[in-house]
Amino acid sequence: MTTSRVDTTIAQPGQSLTTGHKTFSIVDLMLYGAATWDWHRLHYDSEYTSRMQLPGPVVDGQIYGALFARQAVDAFGPTAFVRKLEFRMRAMVFAGETVQIDGVVHEVRHDPDADLVVLDQTLTRDGRPVADARTEVRVPR
Amino acid sequence: MSLLTDELRSWIGREAVYPAQEEIGRAGIRYFALALGDDNPLYRDDDYARQAGFPALVAPPTMIVESCQYAVGPPDDHGYIGHAWDLPVDGCRMIRAGNAYEFFRPVLPSDRISVVWTLEDISERASSRGGTQLFVTSVAHYRDDSGELLAINRETLVYQPLTTGR
Repeated sequence: MTTSRVDTTIAQPGQSLTTGHKTFSIVDLMLYGAATWDWHRLHYDSEYTSRMQLPGPVVDGQIYGALFARQAVDAFGPTAFVRKLEFRMRAMVFAGETVQIDGVVHEVRHDPDADLVVLDQTLTRDGRPVADARTEVRVPR
Repeated sequence: MSLLTDELRSWIGREAVYPAQEEIGRAGIRYFALALGDDNPLYRDDDYARQAGFPALVAPPTMIVESCQYAVGPPDDHGYIGHAWDLPVDGCRMIRAGNAYEFFRPVLPSDRISVVWTLEDISERASSRGGTQLFVTSVAHYRDDSGELLAINRETLVYQPLTTGR
């Protein structure tokens, strides 16, 4: 994911962030589960997910928070601090599927020592909603 | 038949405490970033992080609320080791509805983090699949060794009854 940096001193509501994509291979699900100490069978065990009446291993929804946060940090630079991030799930994603992440500046406030940016972000799969987020980032001057 | 029983209601307000086990650590932070395919040097290069104003490399923003590193004990029957309430709900699958995070400072490799989960609410609502489903909302507070609040995670999980005869 390569991202164009956004200058928060002149950012405007409606401004788009760089769109990203992420494909979740079964190895990615294994990696994420291991790195977060989460070994739930939902994320790698096809026999288990079949028993749960699901079509395959499920992408851990928590990773969407990480993707939304990453888009914000990539857009606003290393000093950006994610203060709030709220996301809601719309649909499950399964191993092998690809999501697209989009973000739009919702609001910009300028404090004496920092810019505060509120983002509206979405994850979609083949154009259908997977999750959406409202994220607040503080960028020191 | 209602999914939300008096026994389930009695779980509201319960707490689960996970004392700090060890530092989050540089390896854990790098592993998390690797798992996301995120090559930002902020998560692996102390000098780069210092130039950005931090005392050392930092953890990716949501690592503190996504990790189950605070857990103790063996995995359960589902392979899960993280926090779970083990609610008396049978014949359901559990899925995530959403999370609301608040962060108060970046997490450093030296942070030893303890977590307190509180079960805030359980409600029963109509399901688009027919019937009803349970919404369970919990909140976790993450603190360092000095008691400084680092993050809050309000999480809503849904328990959906499995269909029978399939």
